[in-house]
Amino acid sequence: MTIERNRLKEIVFAKGAEYGFGDMEIYYQADRATSVRIFKGDIDAFNIVERAGLSFRGEYKGTMGTAFTEKLDEESIDQLLQAARENAEVTQSEEKTELFAGSESYQKVSNFSQQLIDTDSQAIISTALAMEKAALDADPRIEMLNSCALVWSNSELLIVNTKGLDCHTASTMAVSQLSAMAKEHGAVATAYDSGFTSRSLDDLNVSDFADRVGRDAAAKLGAQTVESDNYEIIFRNNAMSTLLQTYSPIFSGANAEKGLSVLQGRLGEQVAGQNITMIDDAHLPGAPGSVPFDSEGVATGRNEVIKDGQLVTFLHHLKSAKKAGVEPTGNGFKAGYRGDLTISPNNLYIEPGDRSLDELIAGTKRGILIIELQGMHAGSDMVSGNFSLSALGHLIEDGKVVRPVDQITVSGNILSVLQNVEAIGNDLRFQGSGRGACGSPSLKINSLSISGK
Amino acid sequence: MLSQAMIEDVLAAALETGGDFADVFVEDKTSTSISMIGGGVDAALTGRDYGIGIRVISGLFAVYAYSNDLRRENLIKIARSAAQAIRGTQRDLTLDLRTVSLNHAHPIQIVPASVTKAKKIELMRRAHLAAKSYDPLISQTSISYKDEDQKVLIANSDGLFIEDRRIRTRLYVEAVATLGREKQVGTSSPGAHQGFEFLENLDIEKHARIAAHTAKTMVGAEFAPSGKIPVIIDNEFGGVIFHEACGHGLEATSVAKKVSVFSDKVGELVASPLVTAIDDGTIQNAWGSSTIDDEGTPTQRNVLIENGVLKGYLIDKLGGKRMGMESTGSARRESYKFAPTSRMNNTYIAAGTSTPEEIIANTEYALYAKYLGGGSVNTATGDFNFVVREGYIVKNGKIEKPVRGATLIGKGIDVLQKIDMVGNNLGFGQGMCGSISGSIPADVGQPMIRVSEITVGGRKGD
Repeated sequence: MTIERNRLKEIVFAKGAEYGFGDMEIYYQADRATSVRIFKGDIDAFNIVERAGLSFRGEYKGTMGTAFTEKLDEESIDQLLQAARENAEVTQSEEKTELFAGSESYQKVSNFSQQLIDTDSQAIISTALAMEKAALDADPRIEMLNSCALVWSNSELLIVNTKGLDCHTASTMAVSQLSAMAKEHGAVATAYDSGFTSRSLDDLNVSDFADRVGRDAAAKLGAQTVESDNYEIIFRNNAMSTLLQTYSPIFSGANAEKGLSVLQGRLGEQVAGQNITMIDDAHLPGAPGSVPFDSEGVATGRNEVIKDGQLVTFLHHLKSAKKAGVEPTGNGFKAGYRGDLTISPNNLYIEPGDRSLDELIAGTKRGILIIELQGMHAGSDMVSGNFSLSALGHLIEDGKVVRPVDQITVSGNILSVLQNVEAIGNDLRFQGSGRGACGSPSLKINSLSISGK
Repeated sequence: MLSQAMIEDVLAAALETGGDFADVFVEDKTSTSISMIGGGVDAALTGRDYGIGIRVISGLFAVYAYSNDLRRENLIKIARSAAQAIRGTQRDLTLDLRTVSLNHAHPIQIVPASVTKAKKIELMRRAHLAAKSYDPLISQTSISYKDEDQKVLIANSDGLFIEDRRIRTRLYVEAVATLGREKQVGTSSPGAHQGFEFLENLDIEKHARIAAHTAKTMVGAEFAPSGKIPVIIDNEFGGVIFHEACGHGLEATSVAKKVSVFSDKVGELVASPLVTAIDDGTIQNAWGSSTIDDEGTPTQRNVLIENGVLKGYLIDKLGGKRMGMESTGSARRESYKFAPTSRMNNTYIAAGTSTPEEIIANTEYALYAKYLGGGSVNTATGDFNFVVREGYIVKNGKIEKPVRGATLIGKGIDVLQKIDMVGNNLGFGQGMCGSISGSIPADVGQPMIRVSEITVGGRKGD
């Protein structure tokens, strides 16, 4: 028999005590989502999702043991507790993990919308169809969309422990995803982007969004490589957000402590140019990763990670904060009940400047505007900070965009990029949905190495 | 897992509104992962995934619903709500499920759950010690162990009712070398569709040395040159070049909608005549193998390219419907949370005749990519990229010096045509392949190959 949600706590904690656990915690998440995918004017796929799961951690003989299950009957709870106890027995981490009794107060975050929940599937389908049409209309060379989807979801999260923590939140979101394919004279180009809202379907502005993606794809047609050399580089906001997100693990206090970050031992040092301020703000209105508490129940907040180029703090969960002798920053993160506890930003972004992208382009003599980066995971090294990434963009000569560029790689080091920002755009934009999303304005970099032909 | 009568009712509910086809995928998977950093166990996690995916197809339109509330009334409700998205004509339907008993093609000797975690940790510690003691430059190690035991039940409205059990084990070894402020990482991560005996019989120290050697060699290396140059790609994980650059473009997912550069090209010369490429889900106990695919079709050996000529694609049921072709046993998914689609199992370029020594000796100048890392591909344009984890410069027929920081970029079809030597040392490497139906285990493989020209992104002169 599946156990009802409101009885989980008492049953797990009562059984847990029998298994010899001291303090215990449950993390319960339930999601419902609907998604629709459009292909050539028809619904191509329609998905309905409902899932729930429980992860447990408990202190056994001084060590924390963790396990999760999606099967929520009494027998599975026994298996869960047995596995967690075994895991506690083999873990030898020197630092003791302690459960958290709760923060003094939690700020309310506006990421729940009844309006979004009440949206019916017909409205979603017609919005998705309108999105496809707008992308096809963006340019006559858009032949079709490789993918055109809307996902609409709501999620409930509960973290309760025997030390008094009792956190509960519900959130909603809708995500638009589009990949457009343009064709001309046998050449093919694609562009992908996604949009996010936690409020209403209208907020996605699917027509503008699709128009932009469509034009991006068409503008890439006829791209060629460039001579290998050093060029002035502009990372457009979406490309810079992607780069920042890829490198967000370097801000993890745990990674720094373990020698897995290029920022190890650099706290208080000037790691970026004086013009760079980087903030992780869990309460930023409209941002994708806004959340009142982290996955350990610690109240989230606004943290300046880099202030005027100086590394002010790492992001911490309870364990890494304790080890570093600082307060936790509310960045304990679990990718749902299945995940391990790691550290992740909530909404990490580079503070925008006052220049428009057009002004950045106008101020570039011989450069490349990078609009897409590929192979992020494989081509970026957290320990050295070095990256070598396949890129697409446009060649700039004497302040003007002259032609599209592909088949190039841009290489450098994340810290030297942040140390050599010549100008900062005013076009801050977040990329992605959910916690861990990162945002950036467009950035102009003095010089980076490009390999082409 | 679930009774045949209950599955029949769920399928009937799913087809209530006139869908052509319905199937279910019930999954109960337990998994264990242990991570060790610097020789101490950092975390151990055990989990159980449990749920059902229900799919209804009408024409080329598919509805997919999943849940992990497997109570009968809920399953009927979900099947009905999936059916609501189909606007067909209701037909009389008689479901007659026939249980097929599976002849499991990948023998398992030791179920990982029967082995104590202490024993698993002992193997991890061996990897740590071997990597750490390899060289004084090795400053950190990170070892992970993973096993999973996936039980699935697949049934469909054509009458199939079949169960399978897939057990996989894997060890990840990562070594970090530090020289001044410079750090470089080396990895090796063997895995198999096999029980714990795979790791017991594995030369763990060898894999630890491979990871440590890469880290140590690369930390002292200079940056790779940039530009279009010949590239020699070694065997085993070097096969990721074919996987990324061509394999994804041969999946029905992109071929059927004519999004792929390989659409409508069967029978055409798409590669150098030296190239024969195969995807084989039947290789015994290989990481990417399984007896049946995730639609219940037996896996098979699919020749994709033979002597340069495109022979076929990787096809699932829905893709096959769109293409008017049969399934090739290639439907895969990460879990019940994903609708199945065409994916690779174990993909490789077949062995040629040159010895690796001959290839190096016959090369005037090239980047020699001994180990490749991961990469990605845009199947519409064919653009790929991947990193070189351990690279060298070959000059006048000899390996001259190590170089780091290189990325290979290009278009898959160009590279296929520019392969001008194929070695005789076919070998396989293990990876996780991510695509629309999630992250799945897949082998890549090849012998050493030489490509006359690839764009190398390096940082020399930086």
